[in-house]
Amino acid sequence: MDFLISQNYVNYVCQCGLLKPLTNLYFCRHCLNLRCSFCCHHEVDSHFCRNCLENIPSSEAKLRKNKCNSCFDCPSCSFSVLSARATTIQVPMTVKEKQEGEESSTTTSEASSGKMVAKKMYYLACLACRYSSRDVGISDQASQNFCWPEQEYMHANRFNTILNYYQALVLHDKQVKQDEKRRKTTNKSKFQSMTDRTGLNVSAIRRQMGFDKTVSKPKNKPASILPSMTEEVEELSEDIFTKPINLKNITTIEQRFTQPANQPESVKHLYPQHKNLSIKRSIRCRHCEHNVIKPEYNPTSIKYRIQQFASSHVPEVRIIKCYPLMPNKSAFITLKLTNPTMNDMTITIMELPTDDEEVMMIDEMKKNFESLTVSSKSSLMRPSLIEDPRIVSCKPTAKLELPDSSFVINQRDDSAEFDDEIQTDKKDPKFVIWRKANKIAIELSITPNDLKVNDEVIVGFTMHYTYSTVPSTTAEKKDSQQRHALNARVYLNVGNIVDYSTK
Amino acid sequence: MEICDTYYSKDEFVETASGNKVNRQTVLCGSQNIVLHGKVIVDKGAIIRGDLANVRTGRYCIISKNAVIRPPFKQFSKGVAFFPLHIGDHVYIGENSVISAASIGSYVYIGKNAVIGRRCVIKDCSIIEDGAILPPETTLASFMKFTKEGKIEGGQGTESVPPAMLDLMVDFTKSFYEHFIPSTH
Repeated sequence: MDFLISQNYVNYVCQCGLLKPLTNLYFCRHCLNLRCSFCCHHEVDSHFCRNCLENIPSSEAKLRKNKCNSCFDCPSCSFSVLSARATTIQVPMTVKEKQEGEESSTTTSEASSGKMVAKKMYYLACLACRYSSRDVGISDQASQNFCWPEQEYMHANRFNTILNYYQALVLHDKQVKQDEKRRKTTNKSKFQSMTDRTGLNVSAIRRQMGFDKTVSKPKNKPASILPSMTEEVEELSEDIFTKPINLKNITTIEQRFTQPANQPESVKHLYPQHKNLSIKRSIRCRHCEHNVIKPEYNPTSIKYRIQQFASSHVPEVRIIKCYPLMPNKSAFITLKLTNPTMNDMTITIMELPTDDEEVMMIDEMKKNFESLTVSSKSSLMRPSLIEDPRIVSCKPTAKLELPDSSFVINQRDDSAEFDDEIQTDKKDPKFVIWRKANKIAIELSITPNDLKVNDEVIVGFTMHYTYSTVPSTTAEKKDSQQRHALNARVYLNVGNIVDYSTK
Repeated sequence: MEICDTYYSKDEFVETASGNKVNRQTVLCGSQNIVLHGKVIVDKGAIIRGDLANVRTGRYCIISKNAVIRPPFKQFSKGVAFFPLHIGDHVYIGENSVISAASIGSYVYIGKNAVIGRRCVIKDCSIIEDGAILPPETTLASFMKFTKEGKIEGGQGTESVPPAMLDLMVDFTKSFYEHFIPSTH
């Protein structure tokens, strides 16, 4: 429930050394490690508009410059979406309408030239800040969708020519490089290549068609464009220093940034902006390149095709209660541990590694990974993209008295939800208070260091747990189920030191 | 943090056969138009305006103290019309919040003192922060968070809304219901 209260009380150490709540972590089933969004690859899966929830294919999104065709952002408050409002206006009947009217109903009396009909017209309005498209002089439209006038940008042509030029330049460079390569490689091999034999090669086709090989390469560099000329800059008018300005008419920095192509100075030029598209992303482990998260394409769907949340693989630790904390005095904390997996878990609570041990762990991790990248050359990811593990920044400020034995948490059983009985097992060690289905409550003793009043008390421990991999396909036998012993480092923020002098 | 037990007096609450727990000091107008699909908690001072249009909630919804659930209206040239309001499963509505949305999906967390303008559409797995004010006709897509400043943040795959929001909300609302127990005295 950490997200309900902005502060996170229970944090786990990700493989990369960052502290994150369990809800924000992933568990890679192939590396058997915790991963966070910081040390994973993010890939765009699909584009959608978050207002109309329309799925837009990525090619089309590129064409539309990642903007939605039908939804507009308010240029004034930039948070909310403009909605179309309807008004009815009286317009004189057009000649065509008149004729139609006469044809359909013969009973109509003589059509007077001044006859008025009600017509629905639409304008865009922001319901948060009362901006409307009428404010900037956009006339009302007859249809709700797709016909709003597009804003024209001063430099659009210039940017297009520059873009075209550089695209041509890149293409030209590529061609030159390719030609050089071909010239070098053809001499090397005595034998015809596959492509030559099948006649798919460009040069082969040219030869067949009778083109001379030497003439065939047009290497014209694209015509260079004119650099933008620095025309004479107009002098500032005198009244810029004397004329009082009305800040209400001047746009804010945020408002200008929402329209980077235009950057209007006056509120009179705040035109509706097409809404930026949102994305759905899949997240991939950088070490083994397996997906940890892959969502459904449908924008409204909340389901995942692959979901490896840490909260469904790693035992969850929650604080139930904590007794008042005083420096150098022991206090009890009650923790609840939940086993989210379908197998029993044996848990041992151990001390956190010391600084030296942590450095050693990190070195070992790096070595492991280097050997992995050397062995698999097909890897798409470059090793440089892998986040270097770091030392955990958080330091515990209290000493935890470790329980003397390990304990077992039963597997998750969805039907156990309905029996209320709290079981007490006599075999359980003393620190176990109760157990219920896949949950267990334990009481541990902590002694805060010599801290001042209101200082935060942080305890940490390494949780050693057994994890069984579930066979991914039914074809695999149950024997393939492997048991692993894994570690998770947990940091708990158990509260502040109380002022005992007043009590 | 584990949710603490909340005790209530048995005289103050009515418990239905489907497990709904409704405080006697709530204002349920047009109760024939209100459907609570079971294990719903409606706390003291909450107002549900079933007289305006149908209100339907899913299972395991929590409507906190002094929250107002009011079906949205739309203005037409010939007056106004009210539309039904649907709330999904496992939705938490914080204290003093005013809800006038057209639909609220499942696994949604709405903080306290939030105002949701008329005809808003709130999709599954989204969060509305404490004190946030949604302008009318806003759409909040899945895995988005509406902040107090009025911005829409996050999206699927980011950390503003936890990726396992579904499991979290199921767990939260269920344990809230389980910890909402009658006092023995």
